[in-house]
Parts: sequence; structure tokens; C-alpha cells
Amino acid sequence: MTNSVQHIIEAKNLVSHYGDRQVLNNVDFKVAKGEIRVIMGGSGSGKSTLLNHLLALLKPTSGDIVVDGVDVVNADRKTLLALRKKTGVAFQSGALFSSMTVGENIKLPLVRHTKLDANTIDIMTRLKLELMNLAGFEHLMPSELSGGMLKRAGLARAVIMDPKLLFFDEPSAGLDPVTAVELDELILKLRDAMNMTIVVVTHELESAFKIADKITVLFDGSVAVTGTVEEIKNSPDERIQNLINRRPRNEVVNAEQYIERLTTGKN
Amino acid sequence: MLSRIKPFIESVGTKATSKVESAGRLGIFILNTLSRLWMFRFPLTETIKQIQFIGARTVPLIIISGLFTGMVIALQFYDTLIRFGSVELLGAAVAMSLIRELGPVMAALMVIARVGSATCAEIGIMRNEQQFDALDCMGIDSYHYVMLPRLMAALISVPLLTAIFDVLGIGGGYIVGVLIHGVSDGAYLIGMADTIVWKDVSMGIIKSSLFALLIIWISMAKGFYLHIEQKQSGAEGVSQATTEAVVLSAVLMLFVDYIVSSLML
Amino acid sequence: MKYEQASHLQYSVLKLTGEVDLHNSPQVRKQLLAILNAGHSVLVDFAALSYIDSSGIATLVEAFNLAKNKALSLTIIEATGAPLQVLELTNLNKVFPMLASLDDVKE
Repeated sequence: MTNSVQHIIEAKNLVSHYGDRQVLNNVDFKVAKGEIRVIMGGSGSGKSTLLNHLLALLKPTSGDIVVDGVDVVNADRKTLLALRKKTGVAFQSGALFSSMTVGENIKLPLVRHTKLDANTIDIMTRLKLELMNLAGFEHLMPSELSGGMLKRAGLARAVIMDPKLLFFDEPSAGLDPVTAVELDELILKLRDAMNMTIVVVTHELESAFKIADKITVLFDGSVAVTGTVEEIKNSPDERIQNLINRRPRNEVVNAEQYIERLTTGKN
Repeated sequence: MLSRIKPFIESVGTKATSKVESAGRLGIFILNTLSRLWMFRFPLTETIKQIQFIGARTVPLIIISGLFTGMVIALQFYDTLIRFGSVELLGAAVAMSLIRELGPVMAALMVIARVGSATCAEIGIMRNEQQFDALDCMGIDSYHYVMLPRLMAALISVPLLTAIFDVLGIGGGYIVGVLIHGVSDGAYLIGMADTIVWKDVSMGIIKSSLFALLIIWISMAKGFYLHIEQKQSGAEGVSQATTEAVVLSAVLMLFVDYIVSSLML
Repeated sequence: MKYEQASHLQYSVLKLTGEVDLHNSPQVRKQLLAILNAGHSVLVDFAALSYIDSSGIATLVEAFNLAKNKALSLTIIEATGAPLQVLELTNLNKVFPMLASLDDVKE
């Protein structure tokens, strides 16, 4: 049944290490064209690492990663560049360049990669600023923006070339609830109007349940489950139930060992 | 006893291998940066911006330090030369010291203090804030867009700054020798002109160019690799990296200074 | 992407077929600006247009502004599907005059 679906991202048997430590353990990850996929997991689950592999910022120890038909692990510079022009990435704190204005930051991909007329580029930049509710902020410097505005400016830059594929690292972190909801709406609109496939890494449950077509949950570098919002909510896996119900991990307390640790400091 | 020796040897080994890895990274870094010269078009706009930052904005500092350096060495030479009755050699002595040695070294130290630390911090912060990841994901080559302009700007600016330092130093020596201590102005200036040869000037140019390369290379690399080399991330890591960059640049600069001097003299 | 020029009543019609994106929007821009600079109001026919990206939209904005400055008009005809969604996403459906077909165009 999955053969009839077009997968724009296919990662198979991903194994990855950081020095000697294994961080990804046989991860399979497939995203269909036009899907909104959320990657969730606790801290240290490997979700940012997985993202970095999909972006070809890291090379896996073993495994395949194919994005829009390109084998990103072995691709040459030219092929990878062509793929990157069709991919937008919004980083956690915006990752804007502090020596340029907001407008110059957002239009940078257009200036470097296209031969569009300057008027066209300026209007495109302002269109994206309007979309992100940043109209009028074009000439400010990044240092003059709040955290939420930096994220939106980073998102504007990520979508300035109308990419087919959009990656979002922790979009709602640090945003007030109203802006976070607006951002969720924006993600849905972008998928519908621009036909984008969107991968979001987040730990905000409400956002995830609202926007996701499917959710991939990672624990300790392995995929626990990939499923629809309903499937996740009804998952029998206790770790997942803990995650979505925000239950703290159930710690078994061994009284003797605990007192020993407290009084002697030995583990 | 063996149980204490083994961890010690391991730690020495680990430190040694990490130093070798660090040196290897420095080598890869400069090769990557230089290779962009022929891989892509020359980054003219970005280089000019950097010339303004590295060169133009350092000029006031160079003027002041050049002036005072010239003044103090003129004072020192005057005191010595007057004992031998050779005070007319003052101009030559001041100029030679500046052009061959003090100009390149002092200007380099000023550049390390102002530009080296700022560049290392700037690039370290870029690394911290995922700006290099962003450049990679946008398909913009970091070495071409960020590193190469700074390298080219340093190679152009630092020798020029050194020249300004030399001129101000000679002027400062003139103020102290001629205006304050009454050395004949003719003797000062003509003595200088008669004694300085192209070899002296070329030594100054070669030194300042090498220093420029060294300073910018180490500052940028320390910032660029801070996520690998520094134990702490964030502001702590940037501050560590900057300190290491400044110290390493200064020490290596003095070492290269000796090598060039001994090869050319 | 293909474009065809025609006339309808006193207007120039620019019919766009296929997809307008980064690579071909400069051509569309050239055509639109030429038509307007020649003093004709323009109808942009979206009937056969399946996709238009931000560069295409920006081109329309620039042309619309030029038309306004020259006391001419720029009207969008028969926008549907993805192009219509983009116009709605950018709120430009509230700015550009939009008609369902060429028949709705008045003298």
C-alpha cells in the first residue's frame, strides 16, 4: 500500500554516532509528498540529530537517506545545491546574520541564487514579511527584534524561494500562545497554498496534534512509533502515554540506595 | 604503580592526539578557504566591507600606538647615541627598528587585540547560533561568503596599517629627536634616507603579510571550530576560544618574526 | 509556461498557461511592463494557469502599481485552484480586481 504513495523523504536503517556514543538506532523515516510530519521526543531522544541528517548537515554511520530523489549521503556538491534551493529550513532561534538588516537577511537566497529583478526581490521579501506579521520591520537589525520576531524572520527566509520542502526546528519554543497558534495556522496555510511538505521538530503537544498528519515519536535514538494523531493518542506504549499526558517518569525508589547517595555522594 | 601510570599515559596520549587533530583542522581550514579563490568569483563587496572593519577602523589605534612607539624608541636611542656622540644616526636607528621589526610586530599586536578577538568572537557566535548551518542549508558556501573576504581584507589591510604605523613612528621620533632634543632635522631625515634599503622595507612587507595571514587564520578557525574544540558551549565557549586565539596568534607571530628575521638578515 | 497576447475590447489580454515560477517570471514581467508602458490596460488570464509562485505574484504587484500610476488597470481573470489560494494567502484578492471570466469585462 505504501508503494502507491510518493515519498519525498525516505530514510532507511539510519545509524549514527557522536564519537563513541550511538545517537540513532536503525531509524526508518518516510514522509509522503504534501504531508505535515511532526517529530517528537524527549530531550536526548535524537530528534535534532535526525533532522540534521535529513538536512545533510551530518553523515550517518550507516543507512540511506533519499530526499526528493537525491541520495544526500553521497550526492555531489551540484546535486546537493539544486536540492537545497528547493528546501527551506527555519532554525530554532532564527539564525539570522547580525551584520545585515532583516530584509537583507530574508532576501539573501534570492540575491545569491536567482537573477530576478531587484524590484521583484524587494516585493517578494515584503510579501513574506507581511505573511509573518513583520511588515515594517524590513530595515531593522536582528539585534532589535524579540525572540518571537527572530523566529518569524527566520521562517520568512526559509520560505522566500517557495520551497517544496520545509523543515522547522522547534517553531513554538519561546513564543506566546497567541503567536504560537498563528504560526500553526501559517504552517497549515503554507502546505495548502504552496503545496509544501513540512517536517516539524517540536515538543509542544498542542501544536503537534493540531498540525500533524502523522507524528514520529523518538525515544533514545529509536523510533517508538509513527502514526496519525489518533493512533498516537491511543498508543499502548507507556512512554508515549507519559509523553502526551505529561506524566513525569515513574521512578522506583530504593530507600537504602537513596539514603546512601544522599549521605555519601556515591552513586 | 602500573595502575597509576596507565591513566597518565592515556591522558598524555589523548592531549597529544587532540593537539594533532587541532593542527590538522587548522590546515584543512586554510586550504578550504584558499581553494574558494579559484572555485568561485571573487567576493568583492564582502571583502570591501571587511577592509573597512579590519583596516579603516583600526587606523586610529595604529596612529596612536605608532606615534608613542616612535617617540619612546627615539628617546631610548637618543640616550644611547649621545654617549657615543653619534646622535645624527637617530633617524636611521628609529626608522630601521620600526620598518624591520617594531612596525610589523606592534601593528600585528594591535590587530590581534582589536580584530583578532572580535573576529574570533563573531565567528564563534555565528557557530553557536547555527548561522553556518543556515548558510549550508541555503546552499551558500561559508568559506566563500564568510572566511575568504576576511582573509583577503586582512592581507590587504595589515601591511597598510603597518606602513601607517611606521610613518607615525618616524614622525614621533622626529618630534622627540628634532623638536624636543634638538637633533638636526637634516641629519634625522637624510640619515634615514641614506641607510634604509629595499631589503629592510621588503622584510617589513613580508613580515606584515605573514602576520596578517596568521592572525586572521587562527582567529577565524578558533571561532569556526568552537563546537568541537571548546569544552563549554555558549558564551563561555566563545570567551575561551577568543582567549586561545589571541594568545596563539601572538606567540606564533613572534615565532614567525624570529624565523623571517634570521632568514633575511 | 507559455504566454499569449491578445485583445479583448479595449484591453490587452495576457493569457498565462502552465506554471509561473522563479525561472520564467521575468518574461512575464517584461510582457506586462511593456503592455502597460504602451498605454494599455491589461487583463491577466489565469484560466490555464496551474501554479504561480511568489516571484510571479511580486511581478503582478509591480505591474499593478505601475498601472495605477499610469491611470490604467490590471485585472485578474478566472483565478482558481492553487493560484487563487496564493492570492488569498497574500490578501491580494482584496487588492486586485478579480473577475470570473472575460465575458464579465465591461467596456
